[in-house]
Amino acid sequence: MGFLKVLKKIKQKEKEMRILMLGLDNAGKTTILKRFNGEPIDTISPTLGFNIKTLEHRDFKLNMWDVGGQKSLRSYWRNYFECTDGLIWVVDSADRRRLEDCRSELHVLLKEERLIGATLLVFANKQDLPGACTSEEIKELLELDKIKTHHWNIVWCSAVSGDNLLKGIDWLIDDIACRIFTQD
Amino acid sequence: MSVVREKHDLQSSKILSQVENPTVITPEDVLHLTKITDTYLCDPDANIYDIDFTRFKIRDLESGAVLFEIAKPIPENTDEGSEKNQESEDPIDPNSGRFVRYQFTPQFLKLKTVGATVEFTVGSKPVNRFRMIERHFFRDKLLKTFDFEFGFCIPYSKNTCEHIYEFPTLPSDLVKEMIAAPFETRSDSFYFVDDHLIMHNKADYAYNGGMSLQAT
Repeated sequence: MGFLKVLKKIKQKEKEMRILMLGLDNAGKTTILKRFNGEPIDTISPTLGFNIKTLEHRDFKLNMWDVGGQKSLRSYWRNYFECTDGLIWVVDSADRRRLEDCRSELHVLLKEERLIGATLLVFANKQDLPGACTSEEIKELLELDKIKTHHWNIVWCSAVSGDNLLKGIDWLIDDIACRIFTQD
Repeated sequence: MSVVREKHDLQSSKILSQVENPTVITPEDVLHLTKITDTYLCDPDANIYDIDFTRFKIRDLESGAVLFEIAKPIPENTDEGSEKNQESEDPIDPNSGRFVRYQFTPQFLKLKTVGATVEFTVGSKPVNRFRMIERHFFRDKLLKTFDFEFGFCIPYSKNTCEHIYEFPTLPSDLVKEMIAAPFETRSDSFYFVDDHLIMHNKADYAYNGGMSLQAT
């Protein structure tokens, strides 16, 4: 058995995935993380660093990283790219004014060499708010169809109600699993 | 009691001699320890990054109940009125804040899934390859090892990390022993930056909370 094959086996056995959640400030990254893990969401303040959760989900060990999205913190994002299997880009669908900013930050990220192998999930969050753009509109405005370098998908969601969070994350995990865990 | 103390000290020097160069403690060294250390393996001032643990929390994921929470008071709120308190302050113990005592009820050992959160702040320097290794023992039996790399921490940041895990299934004899022997379940938490030990915290645990003394 070759060395590579041994390595693959090890990774397969542990089934560990590193998921990085980014987006502009106030997009709802921390709320998504907390809601997904059954924590109360009534006392969330702006993230001035990171929030990590390690958990087991569907037999996978997920390491989820939520890094603050304020402008002053974005230059630090690159410190968290290494070994990322999945990137979740969270969008405040009701913040139409900043969707252009949101688009350009996302496309800068996708040029990053260390994120080349990562699957991209775009969460069109805050669908519970009146006036929120639909995921179809977000797809247009963020020019997602231009992305040829990554597997990607966009899923609408509401972190406050929890709607569709599981659907999005399960899609992400399935896509990563198909890519990195070889089937016997 | 004094006999016990002496025995501990002997074991402590044995542990230090297991470590090749006692002044440089590596992650490998602490991963090979076979029991709780009797001393702190670094000075409080080894923490040149001003990393400060500001909250510990344990919750039960089945019920959502918070089982334990301890948080440092926020410094902003202690400006004017706190001066009075400072006069009557206790003598400063250099090891205060390095030790946490947890007191649980026996039900704690029956939990299925728990989430353990730490919150910490970082000083003015960026921190590279921040890694936590935590070793939990009952007496000399290793119960669990956590080994997690936070990686980079942003200067002046506040960060949280929650490990959600299935509680290890312990044999019922062991559970009984752990309940009957409060504070003999103990843990060492070692924190490394670029493989240098910068912090060492300790905790101990009792699981006999709410039980009558006569029962023991």
